Amino acid sequence: MNPGASGVRAEVALFVTCLVDLMRPSIGFAAIRLIESAGYAVRVPAAQTCCGQPAYNSGDRRAAQTLARRFIEQFESYAFIVAPSGSCSATVRMHYPELLADDAEWAPRAQALAAKTFELTQFLVDVAGLTELPARFDGSVTYHDCCSGLREMGVKQQPRRLIGHLPGARLIEMRDCEECCGFGGLFAVKYPDVSGAIVQRKCEAIRSSGAYAVALGDLGCMMNIEGRLRRSGDEFTEVIHIAELLAGRDV
Amino acid sequence: MHFVDRVRQRLDDAELQHNLKRTRGRNAASRAAAVAAFPDFDAVRARATEIRARVLRDLDLWLEAFEAKATESGATVLWARDGEHACELIIDIARRHGVRTVVKSKSMVSEEAGLNAALEAADIRPVETDLGEYILQINDNEPPSHIIMPVIHKSKEQVSALFARVHGTAPKTDIEALTHEARAVLRPQFLGADMGLSGGNFLIAETGSVAIVTNEGNGRLCTTLPRVHVALTGIEKVIPTLEDLSTLLRVLPRSATGQAITNYVSLLTGPRHAGDPDGPEHMYFVLVDGGRADLVGSDFEDMLRCIRCGACMNHCPVYQTIGGHAYGWVYPGPMGSVLTPLYQGLDKALDLPQAATLCNQCSVVCPVSIPLPELMRRLREKQMEQGLRPWRERLATRLWAWAAARPALYAWGARIAVRYLRWLADGRDRIQVMGLAPGWTAQRDFPAPAGATFRDLYARRRQGRA
Amino acid sequence: MSTRDDILGRLRRQLGRTGSGLAEARRRIRDEIDTPRSGPRPSPGDDPERFIGRARAMLSTVDGCATMDEVPAKVAGWLRAQGLTTRLVIAPAFAGLDWSGAGCEVRAGAAGPHDAVGLTGCFRAIAETGTLMLRSGADMPPVNSLLPDTHIAVVPRTCIVPDMETAWTHARAEWRHWPRAVNLVSGPSRTADIEQTIVLGAHGPYRVHLIIVG
Repeated sequence: MNPGASGVRAEVALFVTCLVDLMRPSIGFAAIRLIESAGYAVRVPAAQTCCGQPAYNSGDRRAAQTLARRFIEQFESYAFIVAPSGSCSATVRMHYPELLADDAEWAPRAQALAAKTFELTQFLVDVAGLTELPARFDGSVTYHDCCSGLREMGVKQQPRRLIGHLPGARLIEMRDCEECCGFGGLFAVKYPDVSGAIVQRKCEAIRSSGAYAVALGDLGCMMNIEGRLRRSGDEFTEVIHIAELLAGRDV
Repeated sequence: MHFVDRVRQRLDDAELQHNLKRTRGRNAASRAAAVAAFPDFDAVRARATEIRARVLRDLDLWLEAFEAKATESGATVLWARDGEHACELIIDIARRHGVRTVVKSKSMVSEEAGLNAALEAADIRPVETDLGEYILQINDNEPPSHIIMPVIHKSKEQVSALFARVHGTAPKTDIEALTHEARAVLRPQFLGADMGLSGGNFLIAETGSVAIVTNEGNGRLCTTLPRVHVALTGIEKVIPTLEDLSTLLRVLPRSATGQAITNYVSLLTGPRHAGDPDGPEHMYFVLVDGGRADLVGSDFEDMLRCIRCGACMNHCPVYQTIGGHAYGWVYPGPMGSVLTPLYQGLDKALDLPQAATLCNQCSVVCPVSIPLPELMRRLREKQMEQGLRPWRERLATRLWAWAAARPALYAWGARIAVRYLRWLADGRDRIQVMGLAPGWTAQRDFPAPAGATFRDLYARRRQGRA
Repeated sequence: MSTRDDILGRLRRQLGRTGSGLAEARRRIRDEIDTPRSGPRPSPGDDPERFIGRARAMLSTVDGCATMDEVPAKVAGWLRAQGLTTRLVIAPAFAGLDWSGAGCEVRAGAAGPHDAVGLTGCFRAIAETGTLMLRSGADMPPVNSLLPDTHIAVVPRTCIVPDMETAWTHARAEWRHWPRAVNLVSGPSRTADIEQTIVLGAHGPYRVHLIIVG
């Protein structure tokens, strides 16, 4: 895609996601810096709230449909929709079409939106072709593949390629990097014992990789892993969202 | 016992956790190696999926076609409403032929039906001959914890102690010696039994045969030596032709154990012919519905494609953590979390569809592409529709969705939530006890929010810039 | 109503089957059975070489000789080398060979519980997986590849086919009556039920030895 007369390639709508809004706004700003550095204009639709994933996964289909329609209205006028989250982008891209399939008016709109919705690193690599990053990271980092990003969106090489372009960073793979961290949304709260045992394994894999930091693309998984590392006495291993790794912490 | 209590018990069982750890990831690694060594896997998997889906669209007719061929070959085809009915039919067959001992090769439908208990109650002695199933039977009829590796939860020391107690032999921890001890005990059972009972991996409509996939050879012994052979299986197992069998055999063992093929695949068609020196004189099929027919054409039809390979549980983070017994019925892991509520009743297994992270690894490795997380999500929807979720959970979901549809209110709520969480953190970067989500902080800290919501910070920056 | 009719009736309701569609669908089923379609098959190569490689991977041992007449000597030599008895039960199809000349004591027929070595032929041998396809019959008793601790199979090179589908095509062409049992055998019996440790000789033969002829 060529830059237009304005010098800007196209407008990207950022879906901040509920968790980033609430817990780590700096991830949102890091995503903006990255998308802008690739030559796109970033818009943040003001009335955005939640994609409906919690309702959808809890079995409240009607609530999920209501939120899906709202989301489509908010975002469908933009060329691209990008979220710094594999699971939130997967909700829009993989599940909205199914969720609204029986609705003659909304099904085509859901499909159209799905086709232009991307996870952040996927957008940066597959669409924007970004190779120069606005930051550096001096140290070794291991990457945890979050489930939705990996298995629903196909995010695997993109973050690794970007880490490859990041000055100073050295990627070390951990064992079982594709295994779930045990977060699973409400699963972590409903079945804390099982979730705790699974995330414990993940933490052991991270630690035995020897990397200074673990990067990943979903804030929910990040809070799960960071929370478990700290609870088990690891104050050292840095847990960092891929957007902040690539763009630097907020300035 | 409640699911959560069963889970707690399994997590606290050091021996079980040790056994789970020993085997964790091994089947997944074997499968990965087998798939990597077979470049056509994806294409064959797509074809296997298509075959199983195609059969289900005409299941009534494929069953009719199978029945006609099986009957023509001299077998008797019987139909069972459910497990209990299947037991009655099998006991009738046993009585008709004066059967006192039944040697069994592995059949999950027999576990569904509770066949061993029914046979014993009718004074007929069942002998499990699959090594794993035999170990379970002599251990007070313990249930299997995996559909193809029934004693994956046991150590050789546990098997050794059991054999020493039951066989009266010296304890031994050499796995080869244990295996051959069981062989020696079971060989006379095969030779002396009146009836062999097998499951059926596939029913082939073209020939009216049952296909049995085994490594040990006990399936062959059970279906060759006794006078009577009964194949007990579900009505969904039918496939059209031998070509389809060939396709399915390329994905089943690879997905299950990483083998290119199992040691034995037996295709059995009717009783012995005139002049045959071996083989049963009578052959019966018992085809069980047990909730299957109602799934055809329903939102859950995809589940009937299942070929019982066990890949989903081998790759499931939850199964790999708690083992199979915690699931509470004969089918564990992701496939069990879907089948148990469907066959036993939605209200009988409320936790199973919920106790999954929806990580989707199961559906990625499923040889017939069953969207297991999707089906679990649909079961969650059914629970919600039927009011089977706790009122607090329903209310919370509703409230969240209601607020999320009102941006101003939502933004205000988020601001309050940040302030509340900051207050809980009390100046630290984490929260260690959180009353609203005690499950979270029971296992890990809750990182404190940064201080303000993104939307407020963004609005401020925009104003600053303007 | 019988259980059969109840199950089939419910299936038809679930599938939305109507009277007129039924006859059409039955024809379609008939066609699918009469003209079986293969799925994707691995590309063929040198079949005997693949067969031998795959059979060894499944832990069969493999030997060969030029003509059928050499089989008894090959069998006797291998049995002696293994320290096994040269007394064996053979499929009647091989009764015509000169066994006593090779020092073997044979009985033609079906194996019993006390036979230590059983000999069979095979209908086809499948290169893709190193698998023997054995059919039942008076001349080829399935127990011979099942009850004895040692199973020896004579595999004429001409019997080796690329895959299972080819073997089925040959079976349909050659078998007037479908045999009671078709057994696909790939190496010795095994189990990994205890601690996922593979042990040979679970219930069937401890060893499978193949003699490729031709």
